[in-house]
Amino acid sequence: MDVRNNRRDMTGASVITANRLLDGRIVWLAPQGWSEAISQARVFDNAAVEDAIKQAKAAADARTVVGIYGVQLDPDATQITPLTVRERIRAFGPSVHPDFAPVETPHVH
Amino acid sequence: MSTDTVTRPVGRYAYDEVDRTFVSQRVAQFREQVGRRVAGDLTEDEFKPLRLMNGLYLQLHAYMLRVAVPYGMMGSDQMRELAHIARTYDRDYGHFTTRQNIQFNWIRLEDTPDILERLAGVNMHAIQTSGNCIRNVTCDEFAGAAADELLDPRIHAEILRQWSTLHPEFSFLPRKFKIAISGSPHDRVAARFHDIGLVAHPGPDGRPVFDVFVGGGLGRTPIIGVKLRDNLPEEDLLAYLEAVVRVYNAYGRRDNMYKARIKILVQALGVEQFREKVDAEFAQMNRADYRLEPAIVEGIRARFGIPDLDAPADAAQKLEADRKADARFDRWVRTNTHTHRHEGFISAVVSIKPDGGIPGDVTADQMDLIADLADAFSFGEIRVTHMQNVVLGHVRKDRLRDLWLRLDGAGLGTPNIGLVGDIIACPGLDYCALANARSIPIAQKLSARFANPELQENIGNLRINISGCINACGHHHAGHIGILGVDKRGEEFFQLTLGGSAENDVAIGQIIGPALPEDETVDAIARLIDTYLVLRHEGEAFIETYRRLGAASFKDAVYAPA
Ligand code: HEM
Ligand code: SF4
Repeated sequence: MDVRNNRRDMTGASVITANRLLDGRIVWLAPQGWSEAISQARVFDNAAVEDAIKQAKAAADARTVVGIYGVQLDPDATQITPLTVRERIRAFGPSVHPDFAPVETPHVH
Repeated sequence: MSTDTVTRPVGRYAYDEVDRTFVSQRVAQFREQVGRRVAGDLTEDEFKPLRLMNGLYLQLHAYMLRVAVPYGMMGSDQMRELAHIARTYDRDYGHFTTRQNIQFNWIRLEDTPDILERLAGVNMHAIQTSGNCIRNVTCDEFAGAAADELLDPRIHAEILRQWSTLHPEFSFLPRKFKIAISGSPHDRVAARFHDIGLVAHPGPDGRPVFDVFVGGGLGRTPIIGVKLRDNLPEEDLLAYLEAVVRVYNAYGRRDNMYKARIKILVQALGVEQFREKVDAEFAQMNRADYRLEPAIVEGIRARFGIPDLDAPADAAQKLEADRKADARFDRWVRTNTHTHRHEGFISAVVSIKPDGGIPGDVTADQMDLIADLADAFSFGEIRVTHMQNVVLGHVRKDRLRDLWLRLDGAGLGTPNIGLVGDIIACPGLDYCALANARSIPIAQKLSARFANPELQENIGNLRINISGCINACGHHHAGHIGILGVDKRGEEFFQLTLGGSAENDVAIGQIIGPALPEDETVDAIARLIDTYLVLRHEGEAFIETYRRLGAASFKDAVYAPA
């Protein structure tokens, strides 16, 4: 996966994401497996996320998900919200089609 | 109409049993590959090149399937099948692209073999819509219809399709390879922004000859193609193009993806040396093996259905009367039609850019309607344009108003072709995994802001092209106003270029200054357009005023304090 999407600061928190193999849909690593809702995602300290990504890669059945990487979160947001526009669009759906949003979560902007 | 139109679809080539068998075999093979991937017998690394060979990308939200529309021509049966796929396997819509193809954004891997099987049922597929091969050959959207056309480029586009499909030497080129062909002196295919651009015209003996441009392209290094050869005889077309692609295959860089396109090779060698190498290759080829005899060309031509252009003698008068009686219709005719070679006919452009809408997106219902209208008004034939619109090529003039009424009733009658609202935009960050910024919302805001048709017509011809990253899928370098999305620490910014053109006055747009934040971009463009309205001379288009005055006159408008 493009390193650009996997970069993060020393401090802060991140979640882990991937695409599901069968339908390509975006999923987030939750306490019980992969969820379509970022609100369910498990939040890691950035200090711990590298290891968590490695573990997720080792544990994930390659038939379930592809392209696992970490996504830095916005420290000022009240809900789990990615820092970059790109990852907000992945989490909350295309900004031009609010009707395609995956879950109840807030809008991209 | 005679029964042979069933086997010879109007404007398209009638595929034979060999073509059909091959496509079906490919579908079966891919079904098996998907099965092995899902069973865990293929890793993602092993599987990815296989799915890309079948046009299936993994994008931001899901898989994206790119379906080839050979030289942009399709039939109503094919459009209906695309509508069915949109409805059944996607979220009820598809996206027409600047390379005259269609993309579906929400495809499931597990459904793809079924989708490809359905496509095969209407002689469609997704082969060579991805990867380092020769991609869909693009062509003039008014081919075979335009009054200014010298030759119908579709015949040779089909010959090139057959030559380049599964060509064993050209499956693993250094990089992708795009060819466009025009048969009109007015370049409507961006010939000089392609790896190879061909402009066909009749030679002294009446057989076609070709002017060959090479090494054009957009992307991170925009380059205008150079003329490699004038008046290439038809019989040598395949041999010569094969020589060009061989030279590229031999010398093109494979070590650096950003320097791998033929444009970089042509620049590195210089056109003289590149030409020498092509000529040397051409000279040593067994040209007899490649010779395109007139009989072969005529055999291909014979497999294209020809529309029966028969209009009542007063068709043109009837259209004039309809225009006088209805100002809205009259405006649409002014902006959205193109002169046909037959005086009783006209070509109609269906704008896929409604005010405030998403450029190139069509719903399944709209696809079905376009198919019905193609059957009713244009011999069942449909063209996808490189401006992301749709053309019905042969509409009888006395029936044009009926067509318009039906389009207008379905929200497809926007009178904006060639105007501010006719914006080219790539999918951008809303869908594309490579994007830096969103293209579509900028397009929507601009087209909503300039929705007023009088205002648009007053502003006149203006091409606004938007790409969400440097790959330039939205041709921003070729826009009169180009907009490029850039990423600054996860936030969207937009860089403006001015003065580009993909037509006969081809030029690469120049960056006007620092990139603007998302929420200032549309205002800045509005100020730019206002400035043009003040500075223009009578009858001068935006691009002409820009060329007369240069960037300085516009810079202040863009960077005016808020
Ligand atoms: C969403 C998936 C897409 C991906 C991954 C993609 C990828 C790329 C890349 C990497 C380039 C740069 C090639 C180079 O400079 O060597 C490129 C160029 C281009 N793409 Fe796309 N693209 C996508 C969608 C589209 C769409 C939707 C269109 C049509 C609207 C399009 C049309 C083009 C064109 C016209 C160019 C520039 C011409 C050239 O090849 O130099 N692409 N694309
Ligand atoms: S220009 Fe960039 S953002 Fe737009 S479709 Fe191409 S690769 Fe994606």
